[in-house]
Parts: sequence; C-alpha cells; structure tokens
Amino acid sequence: MSRNAVITGIGFITSIGNSRADVVESLRSLRPGLERVEFLGNPNLPVKVAGAIRGFRTDSPHWRDWTYPAEYRPPRELLRSISPHGLYAFCAVEQALADAGLDRDSLCDGATGLYCASAGSAFFLHYHLAQMHAVHGERGNPMGLVASIAGTLNFNLAAHYGIRGAVGGFAAACASSSHALGCALDDIRLGRQDRMIVVGAEEVNAESVLPFAAMRVLTPNPDPQAASRPFDRARDGFVVSGGAACLIIEEAGAARRRGSPGYAEMAGWGQAADGHNVAVSHPEGAGLAEAMRRALADAGMNASEVAYVNAHATSTLAGDRSEALALRKIFPAGGGPRVSSTKGLTGHPLSMSGAMEAGFCALALRDGFVPGNANLADPDESCEGLDLPRQTVDSAPNTAMNNSSGFGGSNICHVLRSIPR
Amino acid sequence: MDATNQNTPKKPAPRVAEDATALLRHFAPEVRSAYARFAAAGAAEDADLVILAVIRDHIPEKSVHAATRLDDPVALVADLGFDSLAITEMIFFIEDLFQVSISNAEIMEVRTIGDLRAFIRSKLAGRAPAAPDATT
Repeated sequence: MSRNAVITGIGFITSIGNSRADVVESLRSLRPGLERVEFLGNPNLPVKVAGAIRGFRTDSPHWRDWTYPAEYRPPRELLRSISPHGLYAFCAVEQALADAGLDRDSLCDGATGLYCASAGSAFFLHYHLAQMHAVHGERGNPMGLVASIAGTLNFNLAAHYGIRGAVGGFAAACASSSHALGCALDDIRLGRQDRMIVVGAEEVNAESVLPFAAMRVLTPNPDPQAASRPFDRARDGFVVSGGAACLIIEEAGAARRRGSPGYAEMAGWGQAADGHNVAVSHPEGAGLAEAMRRALADAGMNASEVAYVNAHATSTLAGDRSEALALRKIFPAGGGPRVSSTKGLTGHPLSMSGAMEAGFCALALRDGFVPGNANLADPDESCEGLDLPRQTVDSAPNTAMNNSSGFGGSNICHVLRSIPR
Repeated sequence: MDATNQNTPKKPAPRVAEDATALLRHFAPEVRSAYARFAAAGAAEDADLVILAVIRDHIPEKSVHAATRLDDPVALVADLGFDSLAITEMIFFIEDLFQVSISNAEIMEVRTIGDLRAFIRSKLAGRAPAAPDATT
C-alpha cells in the first residue's frame, strides 16, 4: 500500500517575516529581509550585512536577558537548556502546530517523530568553553552542553513536546534540513511514522557569520537591499541569515481524516553527492543534477512536469554557476520551469534553508504564485536558457522542486506537488 | 605591603563572585542588597536570604508550590518538582555566586529546603568570616 505525505503546518521565524502572511507578502513584493550589521565592535570587517531576526533580542548568553514576541511562552525548563536558535525553533514549531491544528497531547503517541537541523550554537559553545577555561575546568553550566552542540534542537524540542517516535538531527551544513525533510518523508512512506515535525534553525551572530568570512565566501556589499543577488553577474558572495523554519508533514489519509488537506504533497526526493571538494560545488553541478534526476524518479515524474524550481543559489560565484549548469542538464532550453532563488530576499540561512524553502514552495503551490529573483539585473552567462523571472509571477504552479547543497558536496532535491482543491 | 594597613589588619572578606552584580541582575533589590551585605560582613542570615531567592528562582514552572512558602521541610524533588538537572543548574548558580565548590556526593545529600540552607551555611562557615570594618 502506498502512503503519501502532505505538508499540513508551516512556521517561520525568518528575515522576511515571522508569520506565513508576512513571508508571503515579502515573497510577492520581493521585500528583502537583510540589515546592516557590525560584529565584535569592529567596523573594519568586510561583512556589512546579515539577515535580520526581528522581534527577538538574543545577543546575551543568559536566557533571562532575552526578549521575544509576547505571543510565545517558552517555559523556563526549556529556556534553561536552549541557545538563541532553539528559541527561534520553538517559536516556529508553535506556529506550525497551530497552523496544522495539532495540540501537544497529539504528539506523544509514538506515531509522531522529529527531525532537526542546525549547526548548533557556536556562540554558546564558545561562551561555555571560555567559562570552563576561566575556572580551570572546575565547574561549568550543566546546561551548556545540551544548549550548544549540534543536536540541541532535537534534544530540547523532543523533550519539551514529549515526542516518542523517531528523533534525530542532521549535520550536512546547508543541506541539513533538506536531509531532515527527505528522511521524514521516507519514514511516513514506509509506515514508520504518521507525522513528522521537521525543523531547521540558525543564529546570526559573530560566531555563526565570521567563519564564513574567513572562507572568503561572503559579500562585502554594504547595501541590504542589493547585497544578495543570486545568478546575477555582479554577485560577489552570500549574506548569512538565520531564524527557524518548521514543517509538519503527515500521512495524507490521516491528515484528511482530521480535516487538514494540507498545503502540498511531498511527492519525492533525491540526493547525490559531488565527491569532489570539501566546500566548493562540482564545477558542472554533477551531484545536484543527479539529485534532481533521482527526485523526479522518486516522484514518478518527468522534468517537463516541473513548473517551478526554488534554487539553492546563494549568490556565490562558483555555487550559482554550478547550479545553473545542473539545471540546464535537467531542463533543456526552452519551455523549462521558472527558476528563482529566494535567497536574494532572505540571505542564506545555512542549514535551515531547505525546510524554509520547501515551505516557500508549499505556499507558492497553494496560493498560486512564483517568487521572482530579487536583485537579478544581469544574469550570469551560465544561466543561458533558464527562465529566471525578475518579478513574482501570479501563476499557479502545480509542481515545484526545491534544491539544497551543503559542504562536502551533499546535494538534495525535493519535489512538491499541488493538492487539488 | 601597604603601610596604611599595617596597624589595621583585616580578616579576609568572604570570597564573592566578581560578577555578582551581573549574576543577580534579575533578582529583587532586597536580594541584591542582602548579597552586598553578605559580601561586606559575611552574615549567615544575609546569605540565607539570597539562597532562598535562588531556590525560588529555579523552581520549575510546572510546580504547584511555586507561590507557596519555602519552609524547611519542603522537598526539592517531591514537592517543588525539581529534576536532577534543575538541581544541578541551581547548584552551579550557587557555586558561582558564593565561590564554593560542591561535589556530587554533597548534592546527593540535599533533599529539602532545610538541607540546602544548612549545607550552604556550613560551606560558607568553613571559610574565614569578614571582620567588621575598623571604622564601624
């Protein structure tokens, strides 16, 4: 018996909005969510812009100093053991549960699982280890470990919500929450779980941003409106962003029975690695092209059926070119899908990208629009033949693809299909 | 040696956290005042007031006793809903605040509010108390 999965709940704490309505408005009007920043009190750093996480003040390592929107009420038993991106994740999950019409009791039956993705909190890890060194290892905050390390999201959210099904974390850098979503889909199809909560979250602070500056992959552009420009010939690096995204996917029959038709069907996914370089995409996009082929095969679809591709393109020279060439392998020139990278608006929220952008695809499928490419003035020559709309298009795609790529050449592609209404 | 101190030697004041102001910034003014008095004079009752405030601050939200009196027989786990992590978190805070070191074996002996108050008092008493300032 085949089992299908649908997205029934979405939650966003993103640079372009902290609600589905705000995110849709930003996607439709191409309103970027970036802001000027200065890290470590050093105005000489070449990083001038980052994604904004509005409504939160989380720059202290002490949770009591944090401020966040009044509609969220995280208990102290959660706050004591999370870092800032854990707070964002909690807020996104709360949104998604309300959106799906689920209460907490319904998550504790063992049929619900939780997959999360983040890099952990380098900010918290640094703080707690510095404290440990300062007292020569004699004592430390007992919550420092579970608040800081990769896995902190699944540790905390599973305990808080009483999740008794499959729980785990994914660590494939910028492909991580795409891995989480793909494996969550498999768990539902295989009958292992009826419902999966998928979360990606990241912080925006010196510890999360500046290591990328050290790799020389961030733009020095100081203009928040124009700094992130995927596929554009003038792109010169990405803009780090963060926040949290949560998707709830459920077995389609079970979702229907409780009156939730869902946003879109998760029709398939595929993954393939480059086997090429620790941090640089394959120059011809070989791994990503294969991931797209596998995703289409998994969904039982032809490339000609795809109406929209949400590209991973982050605004780097090598990465965008690699993806453009991969897309041209899958979609021959003329009549291909519309392609856009929403990172021109959001910046690049690292491991939360995949879940966030799958959420964007689901909204596009349900609400009938294709996000445009913000800041795309002069497409790179590698994009020849690709349909890259400059403005958001009011058109109802019935199928969308969502690409993600991460360090080590991990490439993931999801296929989402609209639900007849 | 500073000549001005030769004729008015002081016993060392209690060791206190250098960043106590920051550690206690979310506490009520009377708690911060009590800590300041303890730092200056080392009176056990001032430390006791601070310890009770720290316990109250760490009571789990789910506790039904959160708003009740913290009498000595009240048990941290059975009555207040502390789990082992919450106790450890609170002990860490107390260690930092009073610059004491508390072992796992010592933590295991603490069951009630009274146990904890007595234990911390004994820890602090084991250190040199502050002498009154010569001018007072």
